[in-house]
Amino acid sequence: MSEFSTVRVPKVDTIAIQLTGPNQVKLSGTITQKDPASDLAGFFKALHTAAIVDKLGEVRADVSGLTFVNSSAIRLFVDWATWVKNERGHRYTLRFVTSRNVTWQKTAFLALMSLTKDVLAIEHVS
Amino acid sequence: MSAYERSPSTPSSSSRLAVAGSAGNTLRPGDNAVLNGRSLLRVICTAGSGALEYTHAFVTAYTADHLRGAIAQRLSVGAYELLSNALNFGSVSSDIVIELIESETLVGVRVTNDAISARISMLTEHLLKLKNNAEQTYLEELRRSVTGGIPRPMLGLARVAHEVGLTLDVQVQERRVSVTAQCRR
Repeated sequence: MSEFSTVRVPKVDTIAIQLTGPNQVKLSGTITQKDPASDLAGFFKALHTAAIVDKLGEVRADVSGLTFVNSSAIRLFVDWATWVKNERGHRYTLRFVTSRNVTWQKTAFLALMSLTKDVLAIEHVS
Repeated sequence: MSAYERSPSTPSSSSRLAVAGSAGNTLRPGDNAVLNGRSLLRVICTAGSGALEYTHAFVTAYTADHLRGAIAQRLSVGAYELLSNALNFGSVSSDIVIELIESETLVGVRVTNDAISARISMLTEHLLKLKNNAEQTYLEELRRSVTGGIPRPMLGLARVAHEVGLTLDVQVQERRVSVTAQCRR
């Protein structure tokens, strides 16, 4: 069994989180907590570490169902992309699956892409 | 309008600054006018309270019900970030007011609170940076998020101006600050 699929999923009031495959995570709902890092930073770090251990070529993070996130949550995505970028050993592509219908996602991930383009991919769904 | 407008007819402590939204939204004449109109809703929050999440949830539900989907989403981001700033940086000695306002052509969210002059200067400085180049400022704040810059990253208003393309309008009178995030209806 892969490390990735055994990562413990946190329970957060406003977000539904599912591991939907050996390299896929899906988040939907809203992130409005003042400090979402307390729930999510450890989880994202665990997924990142598991992806390295599993030597995954790509991790798909489907955020298309995240209708609202605050600035602190955006920082978590920046952090994740930065961990991959700074990885000296095995490096994977972090692919964010975003929605064309969710306004904040269009610009935010485009900007994130410009900061970490070597390791990031963006996929749009309707 | 000029970068930082002081009207000779108003007291010297009264001023206004407008920052046009970006993110591919074409600015049309009147988009950065002062939003005067009907108040659709008005919520008074106690400064320093944990009102952010549930007030935002209420404003978001209201806008989703009353406005077009894309407009509602943009105002939801504006409402959260403006209220968050007011709760984090405003004076605790007076209430914070959040309003949803519509005119014939514009709709926006306005947050009014008291702040000390140092905070008002910081806000003005940040808005001038956004006015000069919202996209660049947004990227800088994202970068600072990674490095944990000091002072701490100010991504919120950059999101409002660049990410969801709302025009920011700030009016200051003495210590009372009103920040409006608005767009065409």
